[in-house]
Amino acid sequence: MAYSDKVVDHYNNPRNVGTLDKSSSEVGTGLVGAPECGDVMRLQIKVNPETQVIEDAKFKTFGCGSAIASSSLATEWIKGKNVEDALAIKNTDIVKELALPPVKIHCSVLAEDAIRAAIGDWKKKQAATESAPVAAQAK
Amino acid sequence: MATETNIRTGNSVATEGANLCWSCNAAVAANAHFCPNCGKVQPTTQIDYFEFFNLGGAPTRKLNIDLSALEREFYRLSRKLHPDVFARASAKEQLWSLEKSSQLNDAYRTLKDPIARTQYLLELEGVKLEEQSSDATHAARTSGEQKKQVVPPELLEEVFELNMQLQELRMNKEMGEDDPSIASDLQQAKHRFEKMMTEAMSELKTYWDEWDAVICTPGSSEAGRIKVRDKMVGLLNRRSYIRNLVRDVNEALGN
Repeated sequence: MAYSDKVVDHYNNPRNVGTLDKSSSEVGTGLVGAPECGDVMRLQIKVNPETQVIEDAKFKTFGCGSAIASSSLATEWIKGKNVEDALAIKNTDIVKELALPPVKIHCSVLAEDAIRAAIGDWKKKQAATESAPVAAQAK
Repeated sequence: MATETNIRTGNSVATEGANLCWSCNAAVAANAHFCPNCGKVQPTTQIDYFEFFNLGGAPTRKLNIDLSALEREFYRLSRKLHPDVFARASAKEQLWSLEKSSQLNDAYRTLKDPIARTQYLLELEGVKLEEQSSDATHAARTSGEQKKQVVPPELLEEVFELNMQLQELRMNKEMGEDDPSIASDLQQAKHRFEKMMTEAMSELKTYWDEWDAVICTPGSSEAGRIKVRDKMVGLLNRRSYIRNLVRDVNEALGN
């Protein structure tokens, strides 16, 4: 099966590969997997507490070219968005952009899951810091 | 053809149990390959693999099967259906023997393998393993709640960590230095994951027993059936990660 040019581009030059400090209160981490193929994807976001804008995003994916391209594209898209707008990204948007064939749709699902999981983790941290005012504001 | 079976759902389109032989008009079972009266090969039908081997149709397809009997039947049918046998037969019989030989090979390959057999049964039971994850994502998107991952988070963590180690080993190899401690970590991980594969297999077999018991109990509830079915789905999902890990570890270790 031939990959689209966009997939190949993201695969050869993946954007935003790396790690953010998991313990930071501004960082949300999502670790998700696709049982269909055994791929795993970790996506992290760093959110500005004032503006709720995602200032940085990093990913690490172990999987096929489409999974890597989907997560690379996802980090590109969510950077600069506020968290609510990032939640509006659907897997079908990724499918369209990368021209993924039907057998690779689960890769885009994985990327959407990763965005949601990272934002969910970040929100959980915010709720925790709000309820523990002593520890809050420590950056 | 009085009975056509939809291979994806296993639902019989017509419920009649027998056909008439095209050649001698004797009654022939819907899944019989030859007429019991005149011995002529019968037309190809879209029956599922269990029915092809006469191992029971919906809803009583058992997962525990006698593998040596299956193999014997495979060889017996291979000989009887072989296209060479039909070299002098009519064009339609030649075609049926060809089609049935191909069905026979697919059916045997699927049923003899424990994982393929289970996946195939789940598919016949309406579980689309390919779509469960995206279905859950759609549900999470609509409800705004966190999607429930189909495998335990600890397993994902472990899979991720091991992949990091593997990558380190590969990079070190490329740089021409072999770190013995990574190699020994990987050896240990290999053993651990191979053990998990073995455990998954024996767990699967207990679910086969549960499944066979449920489907053979008259009046058993649909809920009980679904419960066992979903246990098998969960197990196969977990197993796919472990299988990849074993594969990648072996590759990294150069086996």
